[in-house]
Amino acid sequence: MTAQVLAAATSAAPKPIWRDWIESPLFLKVAAGTIMLLLWEGVVRALAPAYVARPSGIARVFTAVISDQQFLAAAGATLSAVIAGLLVSLVLGTLVGFAMGRINMMERGLRYYVNSLFATPMIAILPLVTLWFGYSADARFAIVVFAAFFSVAINACDGARSVPLEYLEVAHSFRARPFHTLFDIIFPSSLPYLLAGIRLAAGRALIGAVVAEFFVSIPGLGYFILYNSRTFKHNEAFVAVIALVVVGVSFEALVNWLTRRYLPWARRS
Amino acid sequence: MGPETRRGYGTVIASLLAGAAVWEGAGHVASAAFWAPLSATLESVAETARNGVLVRQIMSSFQLYFSGLALAISIGAPVGMLLARVRWLRVALENYIMMLYATPMVALIPFILSMMGFGFAPKVLVVFLFAVFPVLYNTVEGARSIRPELVEVAHSFRSNEWRLWCDVMIPYTLPFMMTGVRQAIARGLVGMVAAEFFLSPSGLGQMIMMGSQNFDTAGMLGAILIIVLLGVGLMDLGRFLENRFAAWRGYNR
Repeated sequence: MTAQVLAAATSAAPKPIWRDWIESPLFLKVAAGTIMLLLWEGVVRALAPAYVARPSGIARVFTAVISDQQFLAAAGATLSAVIAGLLVSLVLGTLVGFAMGRINMMERGLRYYVNSLFATPMIAILPLVTLWFGYSADARFAIVVFAAFFSVAINACDGARSVPLEYLEVAHSFRARPFHTLFDIIFPSSLPYLLAGIRLAAGRALIGAVVAEFFVSIPGLGYFILYNSRTFKHNEAFVAVIALVVVGVSFEALVNWLTRRYLPWARRS
Repeated sequence: MGPETRRGYGTVIASLLAGAAVWEGAGHVASAAFWAPLSATLESVAETARNGVLVRQIMSSFQLYFSGLALAISIGAPVGMLLARVRWLRVALENYIMMLYATPMVALIPFILSMMGFGFAPKVLVVFLFAVFPVLYNTVEGARSIRPELVEVAHSFRSNEWRLWCDVMIPYTLPFMMTGVRQAIARGLVGMVAAEFFLSPSGLGQMIMMGSQNFDTAGMLGAILIIVLLGVGLMDLGRFLENRFAAWRGYNR
């Protein structure tokens, strides 16, 4: 018995260095990534036709595509449409959301419209939007705004309602003007909600922009993907998908960082 | 019902009536290619309901939607819980799952189209891709917050792997998973419409498309209206599911 315990203790004690190394998170993550890429490469090589995107093919064309003028223009067009649309829906959505959150009449009047349009997949109205704006970049812009506006408005409304009543009472007793109440109390207090709304809106806006480009065939990352995949240049098309992933992930990371850095008090579950 | 709530209902009803009136009026003012009056839209919905097209298209959309969603939940949830149990696997994969969660999956539709063509399977794959990552991501997030004490206590009472799953892992991660299911319900609907637009046209997506191609604005608005109502209903279902299970969350804090 004692001998067994002793043996177990001695065999456990000198843990080889390579065990530590293998169990480190970084190694696990890199290994998982490598295995997934190898699997992808192997499966495509064994089963799929030659034009299908695979890691080695993407790596081969990667630098050529990202330095290509056409690709850069496409990425710029999509990104600027998404950012402009987000800014517009941020301003309008915050205004409407605050009005709904603070004024009961507005909330009752708009609740059903905002909630039901928030629940609607925005791409369903794409054909209607192309009727209104034609097959142009305006249609994409409209879809981006439609996709982003309602999630900002809903979150701004929740934020404006979450303002602690005491703050408003103090402001009231000091005879603060409505303007100051809005900018010094309601706005800062609903910032976490607004950020959550923007994060949601950004994802939806990106999807809206890509779908609009598929549908309307205007220059952009979505159209770049569509065009290249139709001409069986999947490797080139996949570089644009990577660009979209980078945009999506970095926006997510940016909002997370902003929340942690500037709004550490806003830890809501 | 006090005067306050009565006035509340009054405002809601007035706003809905005003919306209907604006819709109707805009249809008479604007050109027929841009907008159709509410009456014409409802008539077109009633017409498609009478000749059976509406029911057929809704059933076709539902078949696609629920196949994809069911697949997403039945794969996303068990894999998420497996990652909850096996720590090294979770550490290895969580960043990739987070990345795929933030990826706009619509971008993959052209690849799916040119590799798999126009069947039912590629469309289900689209809905699945839209819906699976919210389930997986939220289940893994729940798993990260699982308290080691719970597992330790279960182990000290010599609970076997099966009991551990039934009594600790599944109940603990269920509320988080339901948040994922709610998101998957919403995203899956987007995936459904995208698949019906860009892969082989079918269901409600096809109704919208055909309306816009034939300049049948009333038909198109009718199909959009049905999708809006569907979206609202499914969103409520998702919220109900989430709240139903949210009661457990915070129980252990």
